[in-house]
Amino acid sequence: MNIPHPIAAERKEPSASPARANARIRVQGLAKRYGALEVFRNVNVDVGDREIVAIVGPSGCGKTTLLRCIDGLIAPSSGKVEISGVEVTAPLPGVAMVFQQFGLFPWKTVFNNVAYGLRLAGASKAEIRERVPRFIKLVGLAGFEDAYPYQLSGGMQQRCGLARALAIEPSVLLMDEPFAAVDAQTREILQFELLRIWEVRPTSMVFVTHSIEEAVLMGHRVVVLKGRPAGVFEIIEVDLPHPRTRETLMHPHFAQLREHVWTTLMDEARAAELQLQR
Amino acid sequence: MSAQDASLSPPRSGLRAWLSPEATARIAAGIAIVAIWELAVRLWAPAFVARPSRIVAVFPAVVTDPGLWLAAGQTLGAVVQGLAFAVVLGTTIGLAIGRVPAVERFLQLYVSGLFAMPMVAILPLLTLFFGYTGDARLATVVFAAVFAIIINVSDGARAVPPEYIEVSRSFRGSGWSRLFDVVLPSSVPYLIAGLKLAAGRALIGAVVAEFYAAIPGLGYYILYNTRTFKHSEAFVAVAMLAIVGVLFELLLSRGTRWLLPWYRRDEARD
Ligand SMILES: Nc1ncnc2c1ncn2[C@@H]1O[C@H](COP(=O)(O)OP(=O)(O)OP(=O)(O)O)[C@@H](O)[C@H]1O
Ligand SMILES: [Mg+2]
Repeated sequence: MNIPHPIAAERKEPSASPARANARIRVQGLAKRYGALEVFRNVNVDVGDREIVAIVGPSGCGKTTLLRCIDGLIAPSSGKVEISGVEVTAPLPGVAMVFQQFGLFPWKTVFNNVAYGLRLAGASKAEIRERVPRFIKLVGLAGFEDAYPYQLSGGMQQRCGLARALAIEPSVLLMDEPFAAVDAQTREILQFELLRIWEVRPTSMVFVTHSIEEAVLMGHRVVVLKGRPAGVFEIIEVDLPHPRTRETLMHPHFAQLREHVWTTLMDEARAAELQLQR
Repeated sequence: MSAQDASLSPPRSGLRAWLSPEATARIAAGIAIVAIWELAVRLWAPAFVARPSRIVAVFPAVVTDPGLWLAAGQTLGAVVQGLAFAVVLGTTIGLAIGRVPAVERFLQLYVSGLFAMPMVAILPLLTLFFGYTGDARLATVVFAAVFAIIINVSDGARAVPPEYIEVSRSFRGSGWSRLFDVVLPSSVPYLIAGLKLAAGRALIGAVVAEFYAAIPGLGYYILYNTRTFKHSEAFVAVAMLAIVGVLFELLLSRGTRWLLPWYRRDEARD
């Protein structure tokens, strides 16, 4: 189960064929620097066509930065990202991002925020009228169509941002701690809703989370980012049965995997703690 | 200018504030001022100088004078027209300064300079271009108003949270969609703040232009009546300017709520 840098090893092969047979996203030798600060280096991750890859790592290790590189919002310092074989230099169609700080426009109502991506994608009025309410309902915001973001709680804003991304029915979904602000029950509903969406639509998802449990529940693989500068410390295959449901949480292997991820992450936290005590 | 004083410090807190003990003091102060004014004029000033009792006496005749209303209409018309023009022009230039570094480098200095310059100084120049006509007044109003709007809108355009730009880029918005769908709405609160400032300056600009170029309007009405020793009549017009200033302020406060239903509602408690 302990496979450090598996993709890095594969990269040594000169072959142009994708590392994972049907990789949708290929992150190759990615590095990002902000001046003197090297956020991460040599990150290699492939995300399959219908794969959910969860990313965990301590705060500030560069998870958001990595997602922004994958989305094409910022340029990496070296390495590259390919989506469906196309090198990402700017945001691509069919790729949607759920932002950590929600990124809702305060001057738009819930309806118009959710419709934003659709409108830019050139959806017709009829399409918008049909789809937007459907996704608003999906995330449990029915009745708040005309509310402005300031009238919503943090969790509701987060769900609105999720609906906006889902509404364009993307083939690649990049999610930056999408459930961080929602309560435990809603989080559970949304987790299984997302898994259900994934069952009916082949979507590649990169799912950043601080919750180890969530990473193991949602991810087909869990990528642990660690170090300074950060790198892929470990990629854990989550060989739990599909579809993932509430039962998955009871699976004996689930607890094992969770412990494994926890220990991997904890080493770092403990080291930091020791450093503080000194 | 009394019009500006009025527009800057209107009693804006509504009925409840007027019933509070603090308001009682305010009213008492007002009465005292009027009394001292009346007394001082009676004791020391020539008979034609305006005093409260005379103003009250001529008030019905003055407010039924179509000349006053015509003058008010002319001034207000120029102010509204000029403000509309200044909003369009100022928003366009302001957005360009706020979002395009090259434009900012070229124009920032001149905008700050012209904003600080007293509009009286360029009035002779404007009358050279436009003659002693309503056009010169309109130009003065635009000149008086536009820089306040440019400065505020450019501040607003600069202050657009980068997060919003990123969302727009992530969903593949074009440059134009970013401008109209993100930068502009995000700058509207700044535009309205600029407009509040600009409205007062525009009113002053109109009156000053009328004074200087003898263009028919409230300013000229005041000037004419003062010169013919009808100070009380002139004073009614002055009061009218003050009221217009207050009305602008009120309209813009209301307009803010209507234009920005999404803005700063967290303090609404009732
Ligand atoms: N635009 C930027 N300029 C300079 N430094 C930046 C910038 N964006 C991020 N950083 C730095 O990069 C590092 C990684 O930031 P990032 O937001 O990716 O962390 P994260 O893993 O998402 O953290 P969290 O879990 O708290 O969201 C941080 O040290 C941050 O200070
Ligand atoms: Mg982050």
